[in-house]
Amino acid sequence: MSIITTERLCKYFKGKKALDNLNLEIPKGIIFGYLGPNGAGKTTTIRVLLNLAKPTGGTAYILGEDIRKSRNYLRKVGFLPDVPNFYNFFTAREFLSFIADITDIENPKKRIEETLELVGLRNEKSRIGTYSRGMKQRLGLAQALLSDPELLILDEPTSSLDPQGRKEVLDLIYSLKSTKTVFFSTHILSDVERICDRIGILKEGRLLLEDSIENIKKRYWKRRILIEVDDLEKFLERIKESLKPNSVEVKNSSVVIEVLDIQYTLKEIPKIVVQDGLLLEKLEILEPSLEDIFLEVTSGA
Amino acid sequence: MVLKLIKKEFYEFKKTGKLIAIIITFLLFSIMSPITAKVMPELIKSISSEITIIVPPPTWKDAFLQFFKNLNQMVFLIVVLLFIGSVAEEKNRKTAGLIVSKGVDRKKWILAKFFFQISLVFILTLIAFFLCYYYSVILFPDTNFEIPLQSCILFFIYMTFIVSLTIFSSSLGNNIIQAGGIFIVIFIILGILNMFPSIKNYNPIYLSSLENQWITTGIKWSSALKTTISSIILSILLVSIGVYLFNSQELE
Repeated sequence: MSIITTERLCKYFKGKKALDNLNLEIPKGIIFGYLGPNGAGKTTTIRVLLNLAKPTGGTAYILGEDIRKSRNYLRKVGFLPDVPNFYNFFTAREFLSFIADITDIENPKKRIEETLELVGLRNEKSRIGTYSRGMKQRLGLAQALLSDPELLILDEPTSSLDPQGRKEVLDLIYSLKSTKTVFFSTHILSDVERICDRIGILKEGRLLLEDSIENIKKRYWKRRILIEVDDLEKFLERIKESLKPNSVEVKNSSVVIEVLDIQYTLKEIPKIVVQDGLLLEKLEILEPSLEDIFLEVTSGA
Repeated sequence: MVLKLIKKEFYEFKKTGKLIAIIITFLLFSIMSPITAKVMPELIKSISSEITIIVPPPTWKDAFLQFFKNLNQMVFLIVVLLFIGSVAEEKNRKTAGLIVSKGVDRKKWILAKFFFQISLVFILTLIAFFLCYYYSVILFPDTNFEIPLQSCILFFIYMTFIVSLTIFSSSLGNNIIQAGGIFIVIFIILGILNMFPSIKNYNPIYLSSLENQWITTGIKWSSALKTTISSIILSILLVSIGVYLFNSQELE
């Protein structure tokens, strides 16, 4: 079952296509990374999904409800905005109490304490106006999680956090994996690689790629091998002669080759090393990083 | 839901000191008005020792004329300043978007603000009136009750229109400056229209003049009927348009 389905979703601003026929299918129980450069349409997608902006064309279904016809699904969605702003006069506990009140949460006091504990704000008694950006981000997560939603929509949840804060937030999001579906927009690729099951890459409002990270890596795998030997020049001559690689790239004391048959190459390299009396220092099959794929996809669009 | 949202508005006013500011403004002018009316003639006489100024003895009418003058100037200003950003600033700070994304109905969200503001003005106007009446009776024992009370009803109808106009301006503007600008432009237009006798009777601003007229010449509901009805209709229209505008706006 899909939690989010978008069908030819479009959003135009004064003739500019912010979303262009977006077709997305996000299954239940996964962490979906929504990637794209600044201005790609990530936040616009989220605003349309949350009924904060009206689509120009197409529609979306969230938890089975058509967003053009119903707003009931919003009760089952938790949302963290990219720049979390709250009522500065409240304390965290008071703010969550207000949210619990308007969303009719059962047993609110217990739920508020649990959520504050989860985000590490249980002992915080000062007003929100005095909070740092990181604390506001954590409070943002708390208010998103308070109603125990089925779907979490997080807009750049780690963009303003320090490495420690980022790790904590990512661990927290990852821990929700079995119980919730997370739609997570970001441009920090390492975060996506760390916790996401599937990703979508968006550019200029168009979805360029959508699949599991595993499949994407397979698809963009280049059969590249990194080798380090004691006599690089001699080794280079030999491999060009016997392996006929598609490309050869020398990086400091190592060489990266791209070949057609990786199994054959892996058998041949040790033979060459032994025959030529070389010392093999490193042999590694290079997997493409998400960054490489992202750059390739977005630059080729 | 509306009650829950009203509770938040009250809490906001309490925590940010707006509540105490508006209470002090109302109470200060309600107590000061009869006292000022009583001591003003003596004060004028004492300032000019060389010229003889004949000042008629003050009456309860002076106390309430002063009261309504203060309500229409200082209290009006404070009310507008405190309420004008209620919707616009929440849009600007993106808190409106956050609350609406939780499934809160946009119409209820705006109406909660309107009902809170109107209730606060109503309660404070009533308290201010009774305080002013109490001090007037002490200083002017023949103080009339009925005439100022009915003038007070006119003031309340006028303030209903003003609060509706702040809700409308705030719904239309994206920040407090824009909302304030929209309010001032409409208020100036209404002020200009008030100069045309054929339109005056339908202009809510005319109510503020009628309050004082009633104090000096007595109650004439027949002369205020058109203005009262048009003010109520315009208030409903402004709030409805405000709700419609907010419903059709895209939030962040």
